[in-house]
Amino acid sequence: MNALVQKSTASLDALKRIHPLMPWFASFVLLLPLPLLALNDYQIYLLNVICIMIILATGLNIVKGFCGQVTVGHVALYAIGAYTSGVLSVKFGVPFWFCLPAAIAVTMLAGALVGIPSFRLEGAYLALATLGFAQSVEIYIRVTNYLGSASGLGGIAPPSIGNFVFYDYFRYYYLVMPFMLIAVYASFAILRSATGRAFMAVREDALSAAATGVNVRRYKLIAFMLSAVYAGLAGSLFAHMVPGYVHPNNFTVIEMVTLLLMVVLGGIGNIWGGIIGAILVTIIADLTRDFYFYQLLMFGLVIVGTVLFMPKGIGGIIDRYFVSKRFVAAREKTAEQKRAEAAAAKSGES
Amino acid sequence: MLYDFLIVGLSIGILYGLVALGISLIYSGLDIVHFAHGEIFMFGAFFGLVLYDEAGFNYPITLFVAMILAGIMGVIIERVFYRRLTSQGGGYTVAGMGMIICGFGMAIILQNIAFLIWGANGRPMHVNFGMPVELGTITLPQSYVWILVVSVALMAVLHLFLKHTKLGLAIRAVAANKDIAYLMGVNVPLMISLIFGVACALAAAGGVLIAPINYVQVEMGYLMLIKAFAAAVVGGFGSLPGAILGGLMVGVFETLGAAYISGSHKDIYAFLLLIFVLMVRPTGLLGVAAKVKA
Amino acid sequence: MKRHILGLTAAALASSVALNSLSAAEIRVGATMRMISENGQKYGEMVQDEFDAINAAGGINGHTIKLSLLNDECKSDKGVANANKFIHQEKVHLLIGSTCSSVSLPIVDVTAQAEVPQIIPHSTNHQITQKGSAWVFRVPISARYYKGVVAKYVGDKVGKKIAYLYASDAAAVSDAEGLQSQMKELYGVDPVYSAQVQEKEIDFRSHLLKIKALSPDAIFIAALQEPMARALVQSYEVGLPASVKRLANSVASNAPVPAMAGDAIKGVFYTAAYSDSDDRPIAKLFNSMVKQRYGISKVDHDFSQAYDLVRIVEIALRNADLKLDDDNLKADRTAIRDAIAGVKDYQGLASGPISFCADPTPECRDGNRTVVLIGYKKGGEDFELGILDRVTMPVEFGLEK
Repeated sequence: MNALVQKSTASLDALKRIHPLMPWFASFVLLLPLPLLALNDYQIYLLNVICIMIILATGLNIVKGFCGQVTVGHVALYAIGAYTSGVLSVKFGVPFWFCLPAAIAVTMLAGALVGIPSFRLEGAYLALATLGFAQSVEIYIRVTNYLGSASGLGGIAPPSIGNFVFYDYFRYYYLVMPFMLIAVYASFAILRSATGRAFMAVREDALSAAATGVNVRRYKLIAFMLSAVYAGLAGSLFAHMVPGYVHPNNFTVIEMVTLLLMVVLGGIGNIWGGIIGAILVTIIADLTRDFYFYQLLMFGLVIVGTVLFMPKGIGGIIDRYFVSKRFVAAREKTAEQKRAEAAAAKSGES
Repeated sequence: MLYDFLIVGLSIGILYGLVALGISLIYSGLDIVHFAHGEIFMFGAFFGLVLYDEAGFNYPITLFVAMILAGIMGVIIERVFYRRLTSQGGGYTVAGMGMIICGFGMAIILQNIAFLIWGANGRPMHVNFGMPVELGTITLPQSYVWILVVSVALMAVLHLFLKHTKLGLAIRAVAANKDIAYLMGVNVPLMISLIFGVACALAAAGGVLIAPINYVQVEMGYLMLIKAFAAAVVGGFGSLPGAILGGLMVGVFETLGAAYISGSHKDIYAFLLLIFVLMVRPTGLLGVAAKVKA
Repeated sequence: MKRHILGLTAAALASSVALNSLSAAEIRVGATMRMISENGQKYGEMVQDEFDAINAAGGINGHTIKLSLLNDECKSDKGVANANKFIHQEKVHLLIGSTCSSVSLPIVDVTAQAEVPQIIPHSTNHQITQKGSAWVFRVPISARYYKGVVAKYVGDKVGKKIAYLYASDAAAVSDAEGLQSQMKELYGVDPVYSAQVQEKEIDFRSHLLKIKALSPDAIFIAALQEPMARALVQSYEVGLPASVKRLANSVASNAPVPAMAGDAIKGVFYTAAYSDSDDRPIAKLFNSMVKQRYGISKVDHDFSQAYDLVRIVEIALRNADLKLDDDNLKADRTAIRDAIAGVKDYQGLASGPISFCADPTPECRDGNRTVVLIGYKKGGEDFELGILDRVTMPVEFGLEK
């Protein structure tokens, strides 16, 4: 196990040395044949869902994990992305490749709207404001005939390039997966950039961040808008996936809790954790499909249990593993040095 | 016509206010938002239903016993699950965020437990209060009178208790700063349990009082909870008289909105008011200045 | 811990592999329904029990039926996931689903693409059969027939000024908007008031006050059980006189509604596919069976539709020439589709005969056309119903030309 991890980190480092983007390209190549390994179309469908969930969870991590803003309205942004894309496609016949940027742009503006209350509000107040926003969006969709109201918005065309139509799950995977990889890469890039450091400064202590010259409001707004970009992307990809149907029931508080579960289980603020959380939750939700009476109960228990007993989530464990690894390595190194020095001293004595 | 709408708005608003009382109490005492409060409210209603319909208690005793049961339930939940978070403080801390997520999880747990026990069908609670109250052309079931009396009484008692007794002072000390309260010799864990228990009892009172007019159903908590949040915030988060006042305001606001703007968007108005108040005056109508804790 | 996670993932993969090993010679049927609320779980149980009974009696031409039942919580994404799981992983021959129209609608596209027969137990939204899918069949009555019966009855007997209050669920929307368009077409009248409410709404009085001021002839309420009961009770609270007729959609037939609404439900009438007070021998037998098996005192039409669905599936499977091996999956699915399309004049619990045919049109796929108009004589736990009318609608009724 340890050897495996060591080997893989070593090869990752080797790839990084060739070019910083090499590991990403390698993972792209590794992910390419995944649907061929799937046993049936249903598993490919799950792969698509997992990719969308990863995008969504990664986006939520930016605002919640990096920047420390307590939002429970993320699912509303997802809905806005999905509906923008859907309406453009169904009502105006706009092709996917224009729907997608439009959805992202609209969702980004909506994200800015959600972000504005965060200037004045923190913690509980912000959670309530975003909850109110999420509820309003859901209700608005439900009662608006133009958006299909409770009958849902159907007939959203699948994306296509020329004559190549992404109408089945196998093809759709090759659309979703690259988007997912780009999104994850971008979130790492954000985390490492000056913006990411500013986010973390805001998260740790907004007051001292402001004192050191970080424009707190600006970075809060940017965090909300960036996470909205992810939500818009995920929403658009969800809307255009077969059977191209969106319904307000897909964007309720239950979905919000599922999303929270992914991020919390993975570890708030940990990108890999969020990804693992999204994968695990989707797979577990699928495996427990037969136990539907107890499924939500279990979700609830996992959320409560994670928050109470594993507040850093799975990501925290992974981090600790690598930290301790580094620590052990460093300790062994110093011990060896000491031994060498001692040996040298001994040989000097004699 | 306006008069009728006002009556409707005030009568529904007092329901929101009653549920908001408990939410405000928890916030004022522990600086956390409890997202599972709607489910305690639902459990309270079910306790009431079982006690009244199946065990045959009379209504006031049902109300009282259901409150005590829910209070005990609240204390147990707090002791077993939330203690790790509540003892660290809430609000803007990491524990505060944990508490929000944990509350969501607990809400789901409680709702599904209730579903496994009582099933999903709505059940009526037949309480014969006698003649309904007639106000102009509108008749209000007597439940509303009970709700008004009980909620104002509970609000007044709690307010006096918090402001004018030694125990109340201790609770306020915990609310202000747990560490210093400790140093002053306050039994902080006990106070936290007490606050939680009383708040859950308040939720149960809401459930039992609303049950005769609103039926008892496992999903009854959520909509009530978010309306009550709106009420608590509008009135001033943490202020008990503010919770009742906020409830009335939300009720009237959404009823008038539905009456004069657009009926289909009725449920959005409460949230718009919530967001508006949060942006313009986060302290609410009667709120104390928003506390900033490290 | 990491090892645990890896173990978990491995277990996940292993079990999905295990699920994939299929035994032959079984007829695999997947059902996705809304099973967390209302009587939903009992409808699911009924489907399961009926298939078990068929198996116990020797199965279909010597083959047993394997039913997998999943819950979609009335969420389209979960319903689509369930459908995909059934179709691609469990390789079902037939898919049953769903309860909610908003879930059935997208699944129609999934089954059409995967070429799997789908039979619908409860959804009434008119668009379901209008998508041109050759693979979908509907046992319940389409909203387009309901609206015709209600509009005619209301226009003739009650009046033409109608106010509408309907919840934001797909069936209620379809019922209310259908009735509005039908009133417009038949009599050229617009609704005097129309508003949507939330699925879990608790206070209808602001709407009802406005409606009262408009003094309509009737008010149409379409919502889930609890909100419907609430709306009926509150309509008397705001002083809407009993002379304003209360109409409801078929949800009013669910037993908790009269129990909750009490006296307020007296005089309410609604349309459904089946009535508890039906006096045919088969209906009486069915009522006592449901009462004994599921403890339901009054049987609503969702039970009868679940039962009729199983019978129709049974007939179709008996008539279909099935190979039931992996190579013939596609052929078997087609055979089952054609066999269902061949079901003609099925006489069951539904108030009239159910017939399907081969064309992928609503005329062929909305099999049930007989609507009963039912009125409440008495509310409470021991409510009483009376059949006001029984109408069989023409096949092409309510379609846009």
